[in-house]
Amino acid sequence: MNNNTEIVKLIDTTLCTACRGCQVACKQWNELPGLPTKQTGSYQNPPDLQWNTWTLIRFQEYEDKDGKFQWLFRKDGCMHCTDASCVKVCPSGSLYYTPNKTVGIDRSKCIGCKECVAACPFNVPKYDKATDKVYKCNLCYSRIQENLPPACVKSCLTGALSIGPKDEMLKKAYAKVEKLGGDANVYGDKFVGGTHVIYILQFKPEVYDELPVSPKVPQSIFVWKDLFKPLSLVAAGGVVGGALLHYILHGPKRPDPADNITPNDKK
Amino acid sequence: MTNHYIDMRNSDCILIMGSNAAEHHPMAFKWMLKAKERGATLIHVDPRYTRTSARCDFHVPLRSGTDIAFLGGMINYILQNNLYFKEYVLNYTNASFIIGKDYTFNNGLFSGYDAAKRKYDKATWVLEKDEKGVSKRDMTLSNPRCVFQMMKKHYSRYTLDKVSAITGVSKENLLKVYKAYSATTGPHKAGTEAYALGWTHHSVGSQNIRTMSIIQLLLGNMGIAGGGINAMRGEPNVQGSTDQAILYGNLPGYLKMPSASADTLEHYLKKYTPESKDPQSANYYQNYPKFFVSYLMSLFDNKATKENNFGYDWMPKMDDGKHYSTMHMFDAMYAGKVKGYFCVGADTAVSTPNSNKVRKAMQNLDWLVGENIFNNETYEFWRGPGVDPKKIKTECFLLPAAATMEKEGSQSNSGRMIQWKYKAAEAPGDGLPVGEIEIKIMAAVKKLYQKEGGPNAAAITSLYWDYLDGKGHFDALKVSKRLNGVFLKDTVIEDKAKKTTTLYKKGQCVPGFGNLKDDGSTASGNWVHSGSFLADGTNLMARRGKDDPTGLGIYPNWAFVWPMNRRVMYNRASCDINGKPYNPKRAILEWKGDKWVGDVPDGPWPPMADKEKGKLPFIMKTDGIASLFGPGMVDGPFPEHYEPLEGPLAKNPMSGQLINPAIEIFKSDMDKVARASEKFPYVCTTYSCTEHWCTGALTRWQAWLLEAMPAAYMEIGEPLAKEKGIKNGERIKVSSVRGSTTCVAMVTKRFKPFTIEGKTVHQVGMPFNYGWLFPKDTKDDSTNMLTPTVGDANTFCPEYKAFMVNVEKA
Amino acid sequence: MQKGLIKVTTGYERFVHWMLAISCLLLCFTGMGMMYKELNFFGAIFGGLKGLKVVHNYTAIAFGVALVLAIQMWWKEAGVFVFPEDWEWFKTAGGYLWHVDKVAETGKYNPGQKMFFLTVAFFGMVMIGSGFFMLYPQYISANLLDWMYPLHALGFLVIFAFFFVHLYLGTIGNPGTVQAMFTGWVTRAWLKKQHPGWLREMEHEGTLTVSNGK
Repeated sequence: MNNNTEIVKLIDTTLCTACRGCQVACKQWNELPGLPTKQTGSYQNPPDLQWNTWTLIRFQEYEDKDGKFQWLFRKDGCMHCTDASCVKVCPSGSLYYTPNKTVGIDRSKCIGCKECVAACPFNVPKYDKATDKVYKCNLCYSRIQENLPPACVKSCLTGALSIGPKDEMLKKAYAKVEKLGGDANVYGDKFVGGTHVIYILQFKPEVYDELPVSPKVPQSIFVWKDLFKPLSLVAAGGVVGGALLHYILHGPKRPDPADNITPNDKK
Repeated sequence: MTNHYIDMRNSDCILIMGSNAAEHHPMAFKWMLKAKERGATLIHVDPRYTRTSARCDFHVPLRSGTDIAFLGGMINYILQNNLYFKEYVLNYTNASFIIGKDYTFNNGLFSGYDAAKRKYDKATWVLEKDEKGVSKRDMTLSNPRCVFQMMKKHYSRYTLDKVSAITGVSKENLLKVYKAYSATTGPHKAGTEAYALGWTHHSVGSQNIRTMSIIQLLLGNMGIAGGGINAMRGEPNVQGSTDQAILYGNLPGYLKMPSASADTLEHYLKKYTPESKDPQSANYYQNYPKFFVSYLMSLFDNKATKENNFGYDWMPKMDDGKHYSTMHMFDAMYAGKVKGYFCVGADTAVSTPNSNKVRKAMQNLDWLVGENIFNNETYEFWRGPGVDPKKIKTECFLLPAAATMEKEGSQSNSGRMIQWKYKAAEAPGDGLPVGEIEIKIMAAVKKLYQKEGGPNAAAITSLYWDYLDGKGHFDALKVSKRLNGVFLKDTVIEDKAKKTTTLYKKGQCVPGFGNLKDDGSTASGNWVHSGSFLADGTNLMARRGKDDPTGLGIYPNWAFVWPMNRRVMYNRASCDINGKPYNPKRAILEWKGDKWVGDVPDGPWPPMADKEKGKLPFIMKTDGIASLFGPGMVDGPFPEHYEPLEGPLAKNPMSGQLINPAIEIFKSDMDKVARASEKFPYVCTTYSCTEHWCTGALTRWQAWLLEAMPAAYMEIGEPLAKEKGIKNGERIKVSSVRGSTTCVAMVTKRFKPFTIEGKTVHQVGMPFNYGWLFPKDTKDDSTNMLTPTVGDANTFCPEYKAFMVNVEKA
Repeated sequence: MQKGLIKVTTGYERFVHWMLAISCLLLCFTGMGMMYKELNFFGAIFGGLKGLKVVHNYTAIAFGVALVLAIQMWWKEAGVFVFPEDWEWFKTAGGYLWHVDKVAETGKYNPGQKMFFLTVAFFGMVMIGSGFFMLYPQYISANLLDWMYPLHALGFLVIFAFFFVHLYLGTIGNPGTVQAMFTGWVTRAWLKKQHPGWLREMEHEGTLTVSNGK
């Protein structure tokens, strides 16, 4: 794998045993602490991605309309979009595109503005109040640079996780989906310019908890970043230009010095 | 395991029953998934839908403790539909043997039962011999007293209706499994079984496995690639510790612990050395004296001589008919008969059944010594819940031990593969490898005995005790070489086949157990480990060769597998009587006219068609063939369904015997049983979870793991939760007649009620990974507060998997 | 002090004005430093972009307070249009854009100023509101939160543009104006030119404060 190859991490949910090796390996490599949690009646813990949990196995008890039961496991985490909302909104350049087209995060630059938290269509970046910074998976960029697979992929026993050049991974994904048949589908390549984390799903995307069916960069971000942001400068520039023009063409509104004398004085 | 992890990928159908492989043996499950990718069918039979079920082709729920009924039904299905692999069954099993005329089976009891002693006299469980002393056979299988016909008759009682009523499995589901699995019959298909504690944790545990052995033999799945019966053993080195005699009745290498009636070496060897008159039977255990004497030599070395019976008289002897399992130990401790307790790498106050009794028993101790990497509930029993420390007179010590990564040594996986690993880090603080702690203690004890003497002092003062390196530390290599075996004098060995003679110097490693002697010239601490070193001292366990000549994942140059690097046990049975592989596409072994090629064969002899030199394939069996009729078991030669000690039924639908007639009933005042009781109406089972090990004594201290699985929970099916008004995440109280604990309710679709004998029976389940000591704010105690003191009739493995409880809101 | 100057603002008014103005400018400055990557270097003044964020967030409090004071103070005078007089002013655009013979006479605040006040008041509130939810996203639904960002940007767009209008008209566009917010005293000529109605009113009611030159 060339250091600048566009890479994709493939998550084959049909091979995942929810052992959560990835969840723990991620914490180990990225030196994230384990924090106290509560047993709430679910295997899913922590209950959601959080600043110290960049990848999380979601457990879901799913019964289809025929009453057929399936326990669904989905490894949640950053999808590494090509059109990444987070990069688009990040004011500080903390979030950036790596040469592998994944989304890196340089936490030294993060100012904790949380704009990415609101912008992400997958609800991935998480804010930590104590450090006033935002955290998310960077696909172990430090490992990728050394030609090593991310910690999660390294820890995966069953082959549910794999990583490689985008075209190879997509080919592999489509071949598997064809083999699976039914509702099986590839999730990730058709929106936000294509994600660099791709799922092989056994069921339609709408079946899965917390998985957007057609995620996109929110409209609001376009209005904000592509409309109002440049327009602000245009408007301000227009006003300044207009004022100058006004000054030259129309001239200032000068008081009449004669009026400085009060009517009484005139008398 | 008869086979090995990677071999799972060679299978066409994998029955996972008595195991939650994906959660507890993820590495093994990887290879099962490879088989599935190849097109194999994965079946999970388990009371609960687990992470394993999620990845199998289908999951079939059955009531805890009814595996024999389920499998008995499968035997019946195979026999009624003539699905057995006839050639294999005829040649390689005792199907054609004739059962002695006095053997009977009546209303759940085999002949020879003594109700007062709850014990069988096995005198009638014999096979008829001809005048030469060779077992009689009827190759037509038509003799009504032949094993085949008797077995057919025995299992004809396991009809679909009966099995369904006992197990709670629908008839459709029974047939679905029976059909899918019996499709592996014949030469071209391989089916394998993966079990773990889900089978052993029963009062019929050994017979659960026996029943499956019968199925595997009927289908011709033993000894082949992708076949076998495979015990999933876990990270706590279960395989290694069993090999090294963790069970009280064993010495290392599965040699027998002497008992009082075997008062002399001669008597002992006569008792345990089998004899066969069949010239085609290798009867490999005829070498038992060589293994045993070499074992004695490893203990006593130059102090052992032919004159002193190689030190046999110094060996401790068990009382005949008495048992010494953990449960017996605590029973005796409870009765005040045990005064001191070494608890090494264990948390018995959490792990042993009926924890209330265990903790009470420990209060009778004068002293307790713990050796562990963390503190745990056992070492802290004196200030546990409800205990007044002022009233405890026990003196407690806790010695800090090194963790697995902090020491060099061998680890054995389920595939009997012994892999050498190196030290990765120094133990923190005063931590020492347990081996080093033991050596130091024993050296001090030896000194005391030398000075002061004592009962049987010679056993201790004569002990060979040279396991330290030059710097005074535990030397794992030295121990391992001693286990492998060494020559105690210069020895010349002649290889007739190769026409060579080799001289081995005193102190050199024995190249294999074939070179062990019963004359005191060799010492071997564990004969099955023989061959793990070359004579020059090369450590084969440290090998990392990645070549795979058969393409079947055998990797013969990776580490060392006992016995003699054999990757698939009984592999001669993968070939027909002429040594041609039944399935050439998955040939692990083939007879090439003068030698076997492939895996290391079960002995060098030609296949059995060679009437002169050829040998039968199951060389460890006295008759050279596998047992469908198995008189070795203490609770019956044919497995039979009995209810768990504590179950929902008052009557066994199969017979008049409700529970296993041969199990020992513990009778202390704390050993209560509530069978078919309205007060405790729900079947409960216990298990582990991926995120923790065993009692959690190691893993509960690990923040990442605790974060993922923070506290005790009970999985409850939705219908029962609704009935009891329990909501998901609510705190509940769980109680049995022996004790109670609290936890969080996990209401799930993964437990469904069973219909047993026409009645709805709910089952619930709890992990056994938690205790009161840690995490700090925990309000819950051990799941084993609930479980009964009862064990399998053969092994005394406790029945953690089936007992009765009540559940209510806390 | 020059004799004959007329007092048009109180010290309190000027204080509120400058508090609002300075906080607003600081918010614009720090906000732009975060909004435009090219202006990230603004952060250097505050010890990095993070300092910029902190200054921005705390300045918002001052801005909010000033805004409330300003609204409370000016609402009655500058927040309500008076018809038909103001309409007349609108028709001539206050005489700013084309030659008008006679601009409609206006009171203390002309409709242009009222518009500016209302704009600042309204979009100031928008900024405070949207900014609050950007800081505390947990109090709002994700969908609404998404729109807080463009709203904040829109507020900036308007306020920033109006700032320049205000700057121009308050300085060189209307010479003599700026004193009203520095010293509080203006010339009579300026007042006559800019707010003849108010001048007349004050003269009529005798509330005019004229400096005596001392």
